[in-house]
Amino acid sequence: MDEQNAMKSLVVPGDLDALATIRRYVQAAAEQASLEKQQAYRLGLAVDELATNIVTHGYADSAAAGTIEVQATIDARTLKITLEDTAHPFDPTQQDTPADLDMPLDERGIGGLGIFLALNGIDDFTYERVDNRNRNTLVVYRPASEVSP
Amino acid sequence: MEISAETLATATLVTLSGELDGKTAPQAQAQIVPLCQPGRNLLLDMSAVAYMSSAGLRLLLLLHRQLSSVQGQMVLVGLSEELQDTMAATGFLAYFTTAPTREAGLAALP
Repeated sequence: MDEQNAMKSLVVPGDLDALATIRRYVQAAAEQASLEKQQAYRLGLAVDELATNIVTHGYADSAAAGTIEVQATIDARTLKITLEDTAHPFDPTQQDTPADLDMPLDERGIGGLGIFLALNGIDDFTYERVDNRNRNTLVVYRPASEVSP
Repeated sequence: MEISAETLATATLVTLSGELDGKTAPQAQAQIVPLCQPGRNLLLDMSAVAYMSSAGLRLLLLLHRQLSSVQGQMVLVGLSEELQDTMAATGFLAYFTTAPTREAGLAALP
């Protein structure tokens, strides 16, 4: 059986106040999917970093600010979170990985850490540009013991 | 995010409570940076910080640099497993002095 359980989506204004609201939504989805504590935290962090990026870069020009739509879908094996926004095209997978993670803090830049944390904390990530919207899809595999036969 | 500051004999104790994200980290920065004074070390109690994004990392780096410029030192107290995980993944953990308790934190300061 491959039944999908889509939670009611969350649509919030693309501002910094939305970050905590989005984290609560993802937390609820992670609980529903019975993710392990560390998985749930890393997924929450990943979504938060991407949402922060949308607010502070995508919607930085307030005239262009729009909403962020978050949708959680749970199936037998995965929890999938999609984030959609109407900002200019931005593909997180095309960003440079911070090259200087091992360098002393006094000598390095700090750009790109958010995207790095986002893409490294989850199992799968895809970016699509659909109908003039950015769609980020984050996937986490549910713990095997929790998958019902 | 709640922030309180207390002047101890050898350091300024700053206690953070809540979540450090893109909204709250800049607010915390505005309150803590003025406490980075010459001759004062900073004990940053984060045991009640349940969440920290890269905005929090940016704050820690800024405080680290601010204090270095006035020959001050900082100790991070009570980092949760999750916060340590994030700091380790980004290479931050090795560059900060950390302590499990305030007492141990004070002992780690000169």
